[in-house]
Amino acid sequence: MATTTGHAPAPSHGQDTHGKKHGLNAELIGMLLFIGSEVMLFASLFTAYFFIRYGVSNEVWPPLKQNGEPFELPVMLTGVNTLILVASSFTLWWGEKRLKAGDRKGLIRGLWVTILMGGTFLIIQFNEYAHLGFTPQDRAFSGAFYALTGFHGAHVAVGLIVLCMCLRRVYKNDFTATQHTPLAAGSYYWHFVDIVWVLLFLLVYVI
Amino acid sequence: MSFWWRRAIVSSVVGVLFAFLLVFMLRAIFGLDPLWQGNVVATVAGLFGGIGFLYGIGCFDYWLTWAKGRPISSEDHSFHGVSNWKQYFRINTDHKVIGIQYMTMTLFFMVVGGIMALLIRTELAAPGQQIVDGQTYNGLLSMHATLMIFVFAVPVFGGIANYVLPIMLGAKDMAFPRLNALSFWFLPVSGFLFLASMFTGMFGAAWTAYPPLASQGTAGQTLFELGVQFAGASSIATAINFLATIITMRAPGMTIWRMPILAWATGVTSVLAVFATPFIAGSQFLTMFDRVMGTNFFVPDQGGDVIMYQHIFWFYSHPAVYIMLLPGFGIISEVIATFARKPLFGYRAMAFSMVAIAVLGFGVWAHHMFVSGMAAWLRVPMMITTIIIAVPTGVKMFSWVATLWRGKIHMKAPMLWAMGFLFTFLIGGLSGVFNGIVPADIQLSDTYFITAHLHYVLYGGSVYTVFAGIYYWFPKATGRMLNERLSQWHFWLTFIGTQITFMPMHWQGLQGMPRRVVDYDPRFATVNAIETIGSYMLGIATIIFIYNVVISLRKGDPAPWNPWRGRTLEWMVSSPPPLFNFDVIPQVVGGPYQYGIPDARHAVVFAPEKFGGELTEDTRYPVLVVANDTLASQGLIDEIRSRNADGLWSFEFLVPVGDDDRAVAERRLANTLAILAGYGIAATGRVADGEVIAVAGDEGKSRQPYEILVATLPTASSAWMRQDAVDRIRKRSGIATSHFVVRGDDARALTAASALPLTMIVATGAVGADALAAVIMARFDAQPARFTIICPLDLPQPRWGSESSEIRRQAGERMTATINALVSVGVQVQGEVMDDGPATALPLAIDAFGPAQILVAGVNGEAAALADAASAAAGETPVETVNLGAPAGSE
Repeated sequence: MATTTGHAPAPSHGQDTHGKKHGLNAELIGMLLFIGSEVMLFASLFTAYFFIRYGVSNEVWPPLKQNGEPFELPVMLTGVNTLILVASSFTLWWGEKRLKAGDRKGLIRGLWVTILMGGTFLIIQFNEYAHLGFTPQDRAFSGAFYALTGFHGAHVAVGLIVLCMCLRRVYKNDFTATQHTPLAAGSYYWHFVDIVWVLLFLLVYVI
Repeated sequence: MSFWWRRAIVSSVVGVLFAFLLVFMLRAIFGLDPLWQGNVVATVAGLFGGIGFLYGIGCFDYWLTWAKGRPISSEDHSFHGVSNWKQYFRINTDHKVIGIQYMTMTLFFMVVGGIMALLIRTELAAPGQQIVDGQTYNGLLSMHATLMIFVFAVPVFGGIANYVLPIMLGAKDMAFPRLNALSFWFLPVSGFLFLASMFTGMFGAAWTAYPPLASQGTAGQTLFELGVQFAGASSIATAINFLATIITMRAPGMTIWRMPILAWATGVTSVLAVFATPFIAGSQFLTMFDRVMGTNFFVPDQGGDVIMYQHIFWFYSHPAVYIMLLPGFGIISEVIATFARKPLFGYRAMAFSMVAIAVLGFGVWAHHMFVSGMAAWLRVPMMITTIIIAVPTGVKMFSWVATLWRGKIHMKAPMLWAMGFLFTFLIGGLSGVFNGIVPADIQLSDTYFITAHLHYVLYGGSVYTVFAGIYYWFPKATGRMLNERLSQWHFWLTFIGTQITFMPMHWQGLQGMPRRVVDYDPRFATVNAIETIGSYMLGIATIIFIYNVVISLRKGDPAPWNPWRGRTLEWMVSSPPPLFNFDVIPQVVGGPYQYGIPDARHAVVFAPEKFGGELTEDTRYPVLVVANDTLASQGLIDEIRSRNADGLWSFEFLVPVGDDDRAVAERRLANTLAILAGYGIAATGRVADGEVIAVAGDEGKSRQPYEILVATLPTASSAWMRQDAVDRIRKRSGIATSHFVVRGDDARALTAASALPLTMIVATGAVGADALAAVIMARFDAQPARFTIICPLDLPQPRWGSESSEIRRQAGERMTATINALVSVGVQVQGEVMDDGPATALPLAIDAFGPAQILVAGVNGEAAALADAASAAAGETPVETVNLGAPAGSE
């Protein structure tokens, strides 16, 4: 959580919380648990999606829109977009690795590339919304589609904000090779957002 | 009004206005008609208003400062602790303050929800319509359940655990104090949104809010959905906080198997909250989208599925039942072990059964839906898991009963609630198994049987356990004892009221009376009228509780550090605890429930590292022990030993003497101090002339000990208690005063496990002589010891003859006289008349008693013979001889 700065030791409320340099501290445990609850939020939306997909409609898949045409999703374009997002996870991982090696410039490069890739993902996704040809108010499938991708998009946006705040902190030289809990927490979150997208792409677009 | 509240009101108003503007602008831009859409406005305004409030009250200030890149101090404790009651109304990062904020807020909502329930019961008092119409009735019952579940039963345990859990774990605060504050302030927003719905048309789709009913209705339904989101966010945030605290902030030595069960319960509950709550968030999002955005999740002819809502909803809401029960189980485990004075039975089974309940709890949700039209194959698996979940619950039930078994049960208020819980929850649990059987459930669904079941479960599992917790920790949190008499009234009225209100509902349900309906068949008139009377009893009981809290806070008796003699860490700190709980973090060395195990320790206190880190415990807080008749008794010595095991106290005895012999009191005191010294307990003492209340009260006032312990005989035989000594000493000194009762037998018997050396007196003719008593007294005054008088008789044959019997009887009388004479002057002595002559009897006696010294007291020349026999039997033990001259009764 955002209760620590880079160079100052974390609040002294705990005892052995911050003694270990590389292990999980309370902040990262908190972030992991938060991610756990986010996973469950997406699980509830996937549940809704699969109920709509299998529970009710005996029709062919993809189902038909209100105007009688089938829903069509741009699998190719989104596939490319998926690759961009997945790649951004690796650039962030690379940046963190550079920081641990003491290379702050490397981290800055990694973060910039990650943020730009994340932004590209969002722009392509917005573009896709604009050209899909159906709205959330169409049949239940479209609601589920927009709910899943919309929630995910919101998470990407939050992740980007977190990474931007981290970037600013890096420029202020607040993170060191051993003290960068907020960055680590932010990168956990970013990886989670990416993994959810891979699932979403496979379950909604591909199959 | 404080700065913070002004800012909160301004920013929430700004948030609401911004939301209006945003909605109108966007609707205008996209050309939507009409511009005014109540649901949309309610959603956005509720969201921005809520966030505006949280910002204004100051929840985000620190993080925003961090995000802006401004300097922050992680050691900034300016929002920690309170100096006056007004500060409870602003943001605070102290877990103890937040705990009290939580409790006050949730109990407030309990009272509001309770008023709704009383309105419901008033409406149902007779068939036909009394005070409300059907729509309002639906609103009332929805509001009742919503408030009770989302802003009372779920968060209230967060309040109790917030207060006690960090102290129990030996931490100075929660892991994330600011997140903790945020999760509290979500609650008033949530409750406000629920209550605000009364002005926009009450939501009437019950707390379950099933679509398609929930897709219709007024903007109140939207506010409900938003309120649930805020309550859920609070629940998740606080659960993450508890888990991080439990994982990372335990005191050194606090292994998971040394944690109090409440910590286990809170941890397991938090896992449930973290992983289940998002599902209700999901379900409410979907309903909200249907209502606000016009999506079709729950519109069947557009491919939607209404059963899907119920699956998602119950996937949270069944585990939520355990979120409302498991912390209560933890509280009950603490209370029962403490008040039965026994180690908790099956500690590990208790912990594992909670884990099992949590795991199984994720696999039973569809038993709420047996009649919903869901996939039929799900019924039997869900029935089986539902029945299985009774097994770990049964493990807990039997463990509690086994803890009570042969315990020394003290029926104080917390224990009463625990007993009430066992009874009430047992009925609720059993009817739950009953409901879980598919054919029974198909018959009972949506009848009053379900109402009875859930109220038995939640009254037993939530209300009773919450009150057990409140009565248990109120002295710790406030430094004041609650009035015990009012507490008992509160319990008994609630207990009887619960049974009267909810027991007949089982019958009603079996007879087919449907729940959630404003009117009913006239044949249920009598039983409904009785239930309404029962519910009024519950209302009166709550008023008594509030009155009790108010008067106890204002002028309740001061609470000692450890009024219930509990063993967990929160009882090792003052009442109320200091700002950061511990000056020095204790080192945990044993389990938390070792009641009745002499010298067992849960924790010891080390000096800080910089002073060498050695076990010091040199900070001892004085306890003033006031006793006279009971000095040196087994009961009092045991009590002092068990208190000494806390490692916190030094003991100062005060022996007030009135008309009694001062020398006697001094002798008793010397004896006591010597016994305690034998156990390695440092104690001091003095004898004071004067009347007990004046002496002890003034000593307490001037000396300011941490606690006064008044030890007396049972009230009926104690001169002190006939003057109401304990209460009057407490009033006169203003110090927390507790009463310890020593049974009459204990007060006179020899201290069995005494560390004092045993001196064996061998005498025959001398028994009964004043000279013997004088010798023993003189020896005692020189060196405190305990004494056994052995009188080996040389009886003429046959030993069953009347001559022998007469000699034996006389010797017994003389022995009794000597013992009484010695006991009355404060010497501990016992005696035995033995049949065989010295040569046979003494080896047996020495073997049995193992004396440190033997004193032969003879009269008229018999001393030499006795001494020879004693020396022969004594072995290594030193033998002394005194000659007392003429035998008893010869002059």
